[in-house]
Amino acid sequence: MELLVISLIGGLLALDGTSVGQIMVSRPLVAGAVAGWILGDPAVGIFLGAVLELYLLVSFPSGGARFPEGAPATVVAVASAAAVEAPGAAALGIAVGLVWGQVGGFTVSLLRRVNGQFVPEPASASAQRVSVAHALGLILDFVRGVLVTLVGVVFGRQVVVRLVSLWPLPQDETTGLLLAGGAVSAGILLRSLGGFRRRRVLFAAGIALGIVGTRLL
Amino acid sequence: MAAPTAGGLVATFLRSFLIQGSWNYRSMLGTGLCFALLPSLRRIFSDDPDALQRSVRRHVEHFNAHPYLSGVALGAIVRLESEAADDQAIRRFKTAVRGPLGGLGDSLVWASWLPAVSMAALSLLWLGAPGWVAVATFLLVYNLGHLGLRTWGFRAGLTNGRNVGRSLTGANLALWTERLRAVDALFLGALAGAVLGGDGGLADSGLAWAGLALVGFVAGTVTGHRLWRPTAVAVVGLVALLTAWGWAS
Repeated sequence: MELLVISLIGGLLALDGTSVGQIMVSRPLVAGAVAGWILGDPAVGIFLGAVLELYLLVSFPSGGARFPEGAPATVVAVASAAAVEAPGAAALGIAVGLVWGQVGGFTVSLLRRVNGQFVPEPASASAQRVSVAHALGLILDFVRGVLVTLVGVVFGRQVVVRLVSLWPLPQDETTGLLLAGGAVSAGILLRSLGGFRRRRVLFAAGIALGIVGTRLL
Repeated sequence: MAAPTAGGLVATFLRSFLIQGSWNYRSMLGTGLCFALLPSLRRIFSDDPDALQRSVRRHVEHFNAHPYLSGVALGAIVRLESEAADDQAIRRFKTAVRGPLGGLGDSLVWASWLPAVSMAALSLLWLGAPGWVAVATFLLVYNLGHLGLRTWGFRAGLTNGRNVGRSLTGANLALWTERLRAVDALFLGALAGAVLGGDGGLADSGLAWAGLALVGFVAGTVTGHRLWRPTAVAVVGLVALLTAWGWAS
């Protein structure tokens, strides 16, 4: 039952990625919180969602580009990591989530090819055919999101449950490893904002604000 | 030919939230654009089924735009259709706006607004705010901008029709984008500071991981987006290697 609910949630969140609304409930931070809350482990959901949000800071559903899909990947990561309480669960969950983001991105591209087969040609288009083709696209995207999440959670839980006892690092170092990967995304983002040289004053002021904030709050 | 009703316009606006539902590599947003226009087109051509058919065929053709700014095109097309603009004028308009609506939206929303709000929420989290506060702040602030942009765009298109370019120029979205990118740099720094100094952050992980994060950050600034996928592969590979090491020892 829990697997079905979490898969349906994955499907609904996946819809927000491109097809419906784009109010950004599909971002990892939100998807992680939702998945964690449903699975009764909000702390794991928020932490994994925040780490994956950091990784996907530079990933957007822009035009025809293939992008790692955040929502099902985050739900899969959280559902996998929440299966076991151990430092390795977060690392293995994030690894599964990163792989599943690529799987999700591949299925989005595949769906877009499938959509191209049944959208009406201009010469034969009618109001009814447009409505049917569009509704079919929405339904297929939901089904795709459910299946990607379902398969991912089954696979991810097996990975975490079987391998978590082998994980050699303590919690703090595990977090360090995961954040080190996220730091690359932060660097990529700074480059896309104009680069370090151009933004160094604001960036340095931000670092100072952040560090002072951690001391005050 | 009739004027579009308020109900039809509201339905078109609401359907703009689904405009990417049938996204495909052939017509991109074409089918979605036509789907969103249908409630208004049905009213405009309520007494002329052949004209409705011609209009549907016109709008199912290739089109692309940023989804949040697609309302600019939708509003303007409703206005053009209700003014009985000729087929070629409507096609020329759509061809003229699809590039700018895509490029401006990508720069303003995906590359500037979304990272700004996302980094603000992550910073809150690492500064110790409860998770639900960070998530709620992200959704509320992000969607204030999102819904404001969609509403403004649809109204601007509807009001100005084929001259909507003036609204786009007047709104100076490029300037807003540049300002937001400066805010992004500040927030990125704040996030880095919070992750470095916050509880459970990099400072608690040891110098080795903090050093690796610094190397990764510098590599990201030097190499850019093409480093993203190799990094994801490296993280997955490192997790696999460490697990294998734990098994071997």
